[in-house]
Amino acid sequence: MADAAQSGAAAPGENILVAEDVTKVFPGVVANDSVSVEIRRAEIHCLLGENGAGKTTLADILYGVYRPEEGQVLLNGRPLELHSPRDAIEAGIGMVHQHFELVPPMSVIENVVIGTPAKQWLDLTEARRRLEEFFADYDVEIDPDAEVGRLSVGEQQWVEIFKTLYFGVEILILDEPTAVLTPQGIDELFRILRRMRDEGLTIILITHKLKEVMDLSDRVTVLRRGKVVGTVDTADVEQRDLARMMVGREVLMQADKAASTAGEPVLEVEEIHLGSDTGRGSLEGLSITVGSGEIVGVAGVSGNGQNALFDAVVGVRHPEAGSIRITGQDTTESAPHRIATLGVASVPADRIAQGLMMDFSVKENLVLGNQRERQFSRAGILNRGQIDTFAAESIDTFEIKTPSAAQITRTLSGGNLQKIIMARELSGQPQLIVAHQPTRGLDIAATEYVRRRLIQERDRGAGVLLMSEDLDEIFQLSDRIAVIYDGRIVAVTEPDATTLEQIGMHMAGASDTDQGSP
Amino acid sequence: MSEQVADAPQDGPRPDDHEAGAGRDPLSMLLQPGAWRLERRLHTRPVHELYATLIALAITAVIIGLLVIIVGVSPLDAFASLYEGAFGNRESALETLVQATPLILTGLCAAIAFRAGVWNIGGQGQFIAGAIGTWWVYDTFPGLPAPVLFVAMFCGAAVFGAVWATVASVLLVRYGTNEILTTVMLNFVIDSGLSWLLSGPWQANDTPYSQTERMVESTFLPRFFDDSRLHLGFALALVMAAAVHFLVRRTNLGFELRAIGVNKQAASYKGISVGATIIAVMAISGALAGLAGAGELLGLHHRINFEFGGQAVGFTGIIVALVARLHPAGVIVVAIAFAGLLNGATQMQVGTGIPAALVDVIEGVALVFVLLAAVACRYRLRKIAHHG
Repeated sequence: MADAAQSGAAAPGENILVAEDVTKVFPGVVANDSVSVEIRRAEIHCLLGENGAGKTTLADILYGVYRPEEGQVLLNGRPLELHSPRDAIEAGIGMVHQHFELVPPMSVIENVVIGTPAKQWLDLTEARRRLEEFFADYDVEIDPDAEVGRLSVGEQQWVEIFKTLYFGVEILILDEPTAVLTPQGIDELFRILRRMRDEGLTIILITHKLKEVMDLSDRVTVLRRGKVVGTVDTADVEQRDLARMMVGREVLMQADKAASTAGEPVLEVEEIHLGSDTGRGSLEGLSITVGSGEIVGVAGVSGNGQNALFDAVVGVRHPEAGSIRITGQDTTESAPHRIATLGVASVPADRIAQGLMMDFSVKENLVLGNQRERQFSRAGILNRGQIDTFAAESIDTFEIKTPSAAQITRTLSGGNLQKIIMARELSGQPQLIVAHQPTRGLDIAATEYVRRRLIQERDRGAGVLLMSEDLDEIFQLSDRIAVIYDGRIVAVTEPDATTLEQIGMHMAGASDTDQGSP
Repeated sequence: MSEQVADAPQDGPRPDDHEAGAGRDPLSMLLQPGAWRLERRLHTRPVHELYATLIALAITAVIIGLLVIIVGVSPLDAFASLYEGAFGNRESALETLVQATPLILTGLCAAIAFRAGVWNIGGQGQFIAGAIGTWWVYDTFPGLPAPVLFVAMFCGAAVFGAVWATVASVLLVRYGTNEILTTVMLNFVIDSGLSWLLSGPWQANDTPYSQTERMVESTFLPRFFDDSRLHLGFALALVMAAAVHFLVRRTNLGFELRAIGVNKQAASYKGISVGATIIAVMAISGALAGLAGAGELLGLHHRINFEFGGQAVGFTGIIVALVARLHPAGVIVVAIAFAGLLNGATQMQVGTGIPAALVDVIEGVALVFVLLAAVACRYRLRKIAHHG
């Protein structure tokens, strides 16, 4: 990277990569509408926008994945014709996608050299030397011979980044790199990115998190609905300004909520143990209680038992030991449909795999799981009139954007998918809501909406078990915070009585015996 | 080629790129790196599927035509005589419907199971189980009045078919045994079972052959016309197709079976019992094949012999269901088309000397291309060099 700084034509501060009036159309959507962006050498430039704003499309154009219908990309003032990512890499532009492109059973070195062009010698010794040098230089502790599949997600991200830098790029594009990291991991990443920038690397960071933009970037370009709203120097603006540019109106930065009035327990989980046989994590004597009218936030790095806890509460898996009571009734061994009839709503983490039938229509998904309710069927025959009425009401109430209730669900955006799930799950006035990552991947407006609904449900008297990797969300919504680590709740506290750093320490496994027991 | 790929940076902006791209010949466009991209469609429309299927059938016709040329016969003559034998006159058209009757039912058997993501390859065995069930009722309750006996025999067929399918579904649900393996193996088991019955307990007294007595005439299914073997079973098959459509689209169970066919994980998270649904679907699937067995026995053969089921309608039903893309109405159309092939093949053999076995080739080739078409129409080819 250091040598990259000298090789280019542009000096620091001058434009290195420019998109001019780029337009990219997908069927039915103008993903980029005459977008112009100027990236300066050796700056950290954020592309900020909600999901669907066109950030990733723009990055994919810069990286040669797509070609624009109109407009052009200039590198060092010269038009750049990219036919594939290979061309982009040869031109000095690398990208790390949100979903990693690694080969899990292969070693770190093998993953790094995998993109070596056929005409070039594969020099593993040289690769190892550079890799070790790089890791030592940046204080990253990864064994070059480790199998990539066994690395943590944060470590895999380093492999992805180095894989890109290995081929000598001058411009690094990162798509939502912090989604998988702990607060400490994010700090570490940002520290190193700043250093790389100081050494001459140009970094383009795609994000929808305002805090990251403020922390890291030199300049930021805000996109909304495929158009550039503006490019500003980060130092000149505040978070609130960026939010307004992004959403197009004032947004609620802090969820408004009254103090909690926790009532009778609606969920009592006692000392449950659950094996990891399904690959969805294990529980080692986890206990947690949720009262009516309170939101209990479960903070933790993913893979510490959140999936297993979700599965156990909704009844998809049954614990080997311990007990679960919902509204006072023992549900340790109950089937999911029986638990649902007790007034339990569930919002799963992976809404596509666990929450929806993507090939069903929107209205079918709105009644999924309730198809045997008297409202929707009699004597085994679906009441299509009732289903249509219910679907129309839900689409209206929950502001689901769909051409019709008969639309195939697959064609909807992430925010609307989550609204379908929320509409379905909240329709029966549940007593307990189990929500796992309810706002992951959603845009600001949809996130705000989901959070507001959860608070409304709490105010109505429902108990909410909220599992999230987004600590801001945990702090904003929770009346109590529990930290999950290694299949156990290691700390329970109240948001006012703790700090982000303390919770972060617990998430990393530091135990604190002073905290009350769950 | 190399001149056409002159997209080097120094070329500068080229506002007329659209026109330039349109003027190039398709082959060089195709060969230009990154110029074409196979993109997954977000949503496949039925009209795409129809076109794709029609194209697949056209390709099939061409391939078969080439085979026929190799044999030394004009493809036009071959297809003409095939058509003549299948639908050329009233007699052959009605006979085609006779042959279509069991295929509709076994096609529905496969279609409903496949809809639920359960691979019931045991339609053939369940078909034979249905015939056994029919004979058992006939043999056990000889004194029943005719209408009651008909109902009882069909019920017996459905129950025997369902039970035979349930053996596989219980193994699947209880122990996770692959249903493809068990259903295939159960076909062999019931074949052997039938041989034992025909050479033992149910063997007719007055013959050395492995066969049952001929059934009394009051148990023959009524026929629609004096000059055709077309019997009431055909109407039953059409009613069943409508019933399956209703079941799949309009009932709880249909909702649930489609759900487990689409996403078992989400289904179980939403409280749908995957196991119970599989058991129910397989029972219905087996019952449909069982009804086919009853129809053949009561409408055509009137006795079970070792040749019963020799047409392998259970297996052809699988192809029918797949080519019909699991739609009940499609099953009717495809079953009639395939029956026409079977029926016309004899005429073609007599008229042109092409072996009737060509029909098996046609079925196989059609299946391969229709399945390819089903995959292909989920994608589209997009030119990305000059138009996104």
